[in-house]
Amino acid sequence: MTTVAVLAALLAGAYAVAVLEAWARTGRMRPGGPLFAAAALIGRESFVPRKPDRLFFEAAPVLLLVAAVLAAAVLPWAPGLVIVDLATGALFVNAAFAYVLVALIMAGWGPDGAYAMVGGWRFLGQLIGYSMLIVMPITAVAMRAESLVTTVIVDSQAGVWNIVYQPLGFVLFFIAAMALAFLPPFDLPTAPGELAGGVEAEYAGRRLAVLRLARALLVVAVALATTVFYLGGWRGPWLPPWAWTGLKTLAVAAAMFALGGRLPRVREAHFLAWCWKLGIPLALLNIFVVGLLVLAVP
Amino acid sequence: MSTLAQYALLLGLAVGSAGAALALYGLARAVGRERREPGKDVPATAGRLSPKPVWVRYHARYYGYALLFLAFDMEMAFMYPWAVVYRHEGLVALLDMGVFLAILFLGLLYGWSRGALRRQ
Repeated sequence: MTTVAVLAALLAGAYAVAVLEAWARTGRMRPGGPLFAAAALIGRESFVPRKPDRLFFEAAPVLLLVAAVLAAAVLPWAPGLVIVDLATGALFVNAAFAYVLVALIMAGWGPDGAYAMVGGWRFLGQLIGYSMLIVMPITAVAMRAESLVTTVIVDSQAGVWNIVYQPLGFVLFFIAAMALAFLPPFDLPTAPGELAGGVEAEYAGRRLAVLRLARALLVVAVALATTVFYLGGWRGPWLPPWAWTGLKTLAVAAAMFALGGRLPRVREAHFLAWCWKLGIPLALLNIFVVGLLVLAVP
Repeated sequence: MSTLAQYALLLGLAVGSAGAALALYGLARAVGRERREPGKDVPATAGRLSPKPVWVRYHARYYGYALLFLAFDMEMAFMYPWAVVYRHEGLVALLDMGVFLAILFLGLLYGWSRGALRRQ
């Protein structure tokens, strides 16, 4: 029952995220847009390129979908409203997000097309930049909560939310989450207007529908993770807990879209340099500061 | 729920998600099939076949970062258990990990000074 409710919430979130993304991109709010797009994609032809690595080509969209669903499965919407309250939840989120890279590399390699390949390899470079900025801020969150259980992490923010307790970690995680979900300005693997769609270039029809759905679910998963780790999860007055989680998740996604639409695309080399020369020293500083805070303020 | 049951549920979710994707494929196949015509299956390269093979070796120009990434990624394997018991262990844990992280950070600075942190 819980599983069905959470999956329905995830799908509703993916729908809302698709509407928000189209709104941020075109400036027009079309609530029916995702439905029409899905119907059009399912009705369209879906060709396999002439010399594909068939296994990689077919597995990539499905793997991206599985990764997004598994990451969201350990994140709570309300007390008790979580599919699996895993003892190693925060670590499992990282593990599931790691498969986003695998899926995109497979999508890049599979079709034997130049644009897709460039997109896939670019994302590998991007991973080397953002990945540490995902795991290090989560470490600081776990230090405060003394646990990797996601529900305990939300409970640890009863007094002060982590966005106030460790704002540096929040900023780093937020940026890295955008890079993980390849949202603009970090949309190097797809790069609309430059790479002919990149890893999406050879996908059409039903396969592209699954790829787009997986991408929307991935955005929901990273926004939900930001909410759970930094924005107090389900905590808030008046409204029921699940409504707070949903509102905060959508607000995080909207902030990502609004921010991304106003920034120029970052080159892979520049992104790597910023992440390693500024991001990782700041992430280590964040761990140190939170370490002192945790000992000083119980 | 036991740990085994939790992981079984996660496995079920993975299989179920894949099954949902396959069901979507089945629906699309029921709506209509592809019409095979020459030229439709050419990868997108400005309307003609790619002049060079795509599956070749590429120069990973970020390999300096990648090597440092390996060191930091291993370090994170130690950080998670440490973070859970951190408050319980107190200042000793901070100093222990501080020394460890300081060495790694010096490694990062050394790599930076030797030009590892740039696209080769």
